[in-house]
Amino acid sequence: MSYTAGIDVGSTYTKVVVVDGNRIILGRAMEPTGFKLREVGERTYSRAVEQAGLKKDDVRYIVATGFGRHQTPISDVQVTDLTANARGVRFLFPNTGTILDVGGQTMKASRLGDGATVKSFRLNDKCAAGTGAFLEKTARYMGYTTDEIGSLVSTSKESVSISGVCAVFAESEVINHLSEGVAPADIMHGAIVSLVGRSVQLMKRVRMEPEFTLVGGILRFERMVQVVREQLRAEVNVPEGDLVQFTAAFGAALLGQRRLEKLEESGASLQRV
Amino acid sequence: MTQQQVFPEWRHEPLDGVLYQCRELIEDSKFPTVQRWRANGGKVVGHFQVYFPEEIAHAAGVLPFKLRGASVEPLKADSHFGSYLCSILKTSLELVLSKHIELDMFVTHPICDAARNLAGVWGRNFSFPCQILYLPQNANSSHACEYLRGEYDRLKRCIEEIAGRSVTDDDLRNSLNVFNQNRALLRELYAIKRDTPWLLSVDEAYSLLCVGGMIPREEHNEMLRAVLPLIRERSVKRQDKIRVVFEGGFCEQPPFDLIRTIGRTCYVVDDDLLIGLRWILEDVPLDGDPLSQLAEAYLEKSSYSPVQHDLRKPKEAMLLRRVADSKADAVIVTAAKMCEPGLEEQVAYTRSLDKERVPYFVSEFEENMSSFDHLEIQLETFMENLLFD
Repeated sequence: MSYTAGIDVGSTYTKVVVVDGNRIILGRAMEPTGFKLREVGERTYSRAVEQAGLKKDDVRYIVATGFGRHQTPISDVQVTDLTANARGVRFLFPNTGTILDVGGQTMKASRLGDGATVKSFRLNDKCAAGTGAFLEKTARYMGYTTDEIGSLVSTSKESVSISGVCAVFAESEVINHLSEGVAPADIMHGAIVSLVGRSVQLMKRVRMEPEFTLVGGILRFERMVQVVREQLRAEVNVPEGDLVQFTAAFGAALLGQRRLEKLEESGASLQRV
Repeated sequence: MTQQQVFPEWRHEPLDGVLYQCRELIEDSKFPTVQRWRANGGKVVGHFQVYFPEEIAHAAGVLPFKLRGASVEPLKADSHFGSYLCSILKTSLELVLSKHIELDMFVTHPICDAARNLAGVWGRNFSFPCQILYLPQNANSSHACEYLRGEYDRLKRCIEEIAGRSVTDDDLRNSLNVFNQNRALLRELYAIKRDTPWLLSVDEAYSLLCVGGMIPREEHNEMLRAVLPLIRERSVKRQDKIRVVFEGGFCEQPPFDLIRTIGRTCYVVDDDLLIGLRWILEDVPLDGDPLSQLAEAYLEKSSYSPVQHDLRKPKEAMLLRRVADSKADAVIVTAAKMCEPGLEEQVAYTRSLDKERVPYFVSEFEENMSSFDHLEIQLETFMENLLFD
């Protein structure tokens, strides 16, 4: 059996998925990325391989992706997270036309072509206002942790306006709302509405086509998905459970399978030194 | 000859330290090695891209310094050139106008319309001699070698004047020998890159090569002899990257960060970066008349570039040969902005690559560009298509 692994060294979390030749996920692991990218990649990979019940030598091909992909020397090749997500999403939802990926420090919209190719993509500007960091900061201003965002926002009755132009300036808006007695849940809800507004703008710029699939760590908050659905006025696909965070790593592992197939088709062999 | 070491920083360093020091040197727009050479009374000939017979300057004890522009703002030089001209013309002049470097002589070549006029522009601004070395326009003429020998002799006499000494045939033979050794070492360097590209990235090879145009060749030879075994012993994982030929670095140089970006996306197994330093492909014979041998080597034992016109070396056929010899999977066809020879050749290159079904990636660069994110994603997408589709 040909086992492959995908390592997604994201700006906030590092995710690893190990799959077999039937594209079945055998193991996965996740750790905060921190600043020692090489070490976290190797450590998370070791955990995923162990969970899969394999030895490292059993894994025939490793694909690294994410912003730290070039700091992952154990990989056989590095790919952009656009390509990795496209592969993962098309496997999970074959009719996907547009992907929205909201991560800790980036937001990306991409429109897919035939197969799992990326036809058009847009990234957010170098600004936290369009990323998960915006929600994290908003929660922190109000004394909540990132993990509490989901439960906090589920109690919201209505959203309040947060301009979302700048994650730093949003602090004064949050303080104003709090001083006026607005519930933290409604402020959090407003931050999500603001973030989704920017996301939808990005999707429009790639000339989005249905079906829409959402991935990235921020999409684990159910309210976020609900607001996207409302603003798009369309149904959206979201990978089940925490797979929403592992889509790029999963796609990278699938690319490893594809690469092995291609090498076999061409009669070439993978040489590792 | 002024015998001195001008680049001691690399000595006693491990491989990574040598590479770091080379990178620091080539990115230092104060050119400390040239300053040290001059501080010890040495004379310097600055020669513009692409090819210059450095052996002649070396034989006179003069440091041949390869002018390849720099990452400097051409504040003073901008007013000397039209906005439609390439950057390297402006930044090379800026280096001297702003006293980043001091020269004793400047030589340019009629490689393009802009470079042809450089001697005139420089001559109006500086008191040192500014010469044009007329490399033969028709390399296929039966008189090309004899003509070029005459040009080299004229150049020799100019250099003798600034050196304050005459150059004998034995001086020239000694220099040919030093440069033959240098070329052999650079061939070894490129063989490592071609055969085991995971041991040496394109930016690392470029650093080691580029330093050669800034220090005496004896010192460059010494450094390469020390470094080549260390590269071969390197413990680096081989990755499954696309093997690529980089074409378009013959004159203006891409920013170092762009070269590094390309290097982490693919294995560059051959290139034309600073091709003038590797122009002559074989040893120049040490017997006979040295200037004739040097002229013949320029014509008969040489590489190719968009600025040499030789019917025996159609550029597109030479590129395909470079691709085949290096077993490359794809080509990056690029050119400096406003570079007429480079941009014109892109048409012939891409047509022949299409015909031979060699995948290629086309782009432009400028030495002072500073954002590579978009280019990197495009390049990665190109490589990913080759790997997985």
